[in-house]
Amino acid sequence: MKKILLLLVLSLFSFSACEKDDVCDANTSTTPRLVIQFYDITNTMVLKNLTNLKVIGEGMSEGIVFNGNGNMVSIPLKTTQNTTSYSFILNYGSVSYSNEDKITFNYTRENLFVSRACGFKTIFSLDATNPYSHTDAIISDLLWIKDIRVEKNNIDTENETHVKIYF
Amino acid sequence: MFLVQAQPLPNKIPSKNIQNEGIIPDAPKQVSQKIVEEKKMDSLPSKTNRYGLRVGIDLYKLTRVLYDSNYKGIEFVGDYRLTKKYYLAAEIGNENKTTDDERLNFTTKGSYLKVGFDYNGYENWLNMENIIAVGLRYGASTFSQELNSYKIYNANRYFGEVPVLVSGEKFNGLSASWIEVVAGVKAKVINNVYLGFSLRLNRLVSNHKPNNFDNLYIPGFNRTYNGDFGVGVNYTITYFIPLYKKKVSPKK
Repeated sequence: MKKILLLLVLSLFSFSACEKDDVCDANTSTTPRLVIQFYDITNTMVLKNLTNLKVIGEGMSEGIVFNGNGNMVSIPLKTTQNTTSYSFILNYGSVSYSNEDKITFNYTRENLFVSRACGFKTIFSLDATNPYSHTDAIISDLLWIKDIRVEKNNIDTENETHVKIYF
Repeated sequence: MFLVQAQPLPNKIPSKNIQNEGIIPDAPKQVSQKIVEEKKMDSLPSKTNRYGLRVGIDLYKLTRVLYDSNYKGIEFVGDYRLTKKYYLAAEIGNENKTTDDERLNFTTKGSYLKVGFDYNGYENWLNMENIIAVGLRYGASTFSQELNSYKIYNANRYFGEVPVLVSGEKFNGLSASWIEVVAGVKAKVINNVYLGFSLRLNRLVSNHKPNNFDNLYIPGFNRTYNGDFGVGVNYTITYFIPLYKKKVSPKK
């Protein structure tokens, strides 16, 4: 009888899954950012590198992206409002060539439970009829972004491109 | 199964030979053990075992209510002596606990029932009636959860930390069941009053989770975020109601 119980206790523990659950694991899929890729307007299948792009949220003093070249940015959306506006400044730092466009993204939000350690995450769904509005900055300098296409309305992971920008 | 094995068969039969003849077909191993035990007891005076019902309350939960403002709970315990070593045992309780975590604050309310047996491995001297037992329980709980508030996890705090969101969403009709291994002691302090302590290891068997939330705490099981495992303790005071006695007659 005692042996049976001992065996039971052991078998109970052998199934133990050791989960470190106090800290939200960085690999856990939490609130995703909006992933934007930049393409060439003259050849829409080809990615195009940017020079000195600065992306800055409305009302923020510091930009998210500001460095050399690249053709992709990931920007966070506000989890407390259904719109987020960003200024996309091309050739930032250059007096003569810098150009600023503003894009406002419109979306709905849903809060999903992740885990005890991570709490909840927000996933977004870009508005089907009016996903974004694209305007020039206060200082009118023509639009450098020629076209914006929404690839994925549902933003629930960062592993895919949600929006393509052509210039 | 357990009951059959544990019947103190040899007690009524005086002759060793007859015992063996009568019992071998059922459980030969048990019989040989009994004989050895009885040989040891040869020199002891005759004693009686008292059989009856023991009922009581968990003092751990009772005192926790006093110092933990997020907790209300009560547990009644009981056991009934079936044979010399086996006790039918049960716990029934109700809990109302608010868990305040870094990212979540939720309240769990519900009742539970655990039923199983205890095996007393302690050989008492004379008229002592202490218990050092191992046991098994099957536990089941029905409960509800209310998510009071939560935080959104955002790895990119560009727009600053998101404030705590008040929810108030209620998840009803939840349930879970589990197996519990118990190790415990009960010591007689005065006449029919016992103080007991037990340690419990639980493993979930079923867990009916709500949509868009999790059963992070289950009444009777305890918190669930160590995989499917839980641990528990109780600290009991019980009263034994004797119903009848059985004489343990020493051999010859």
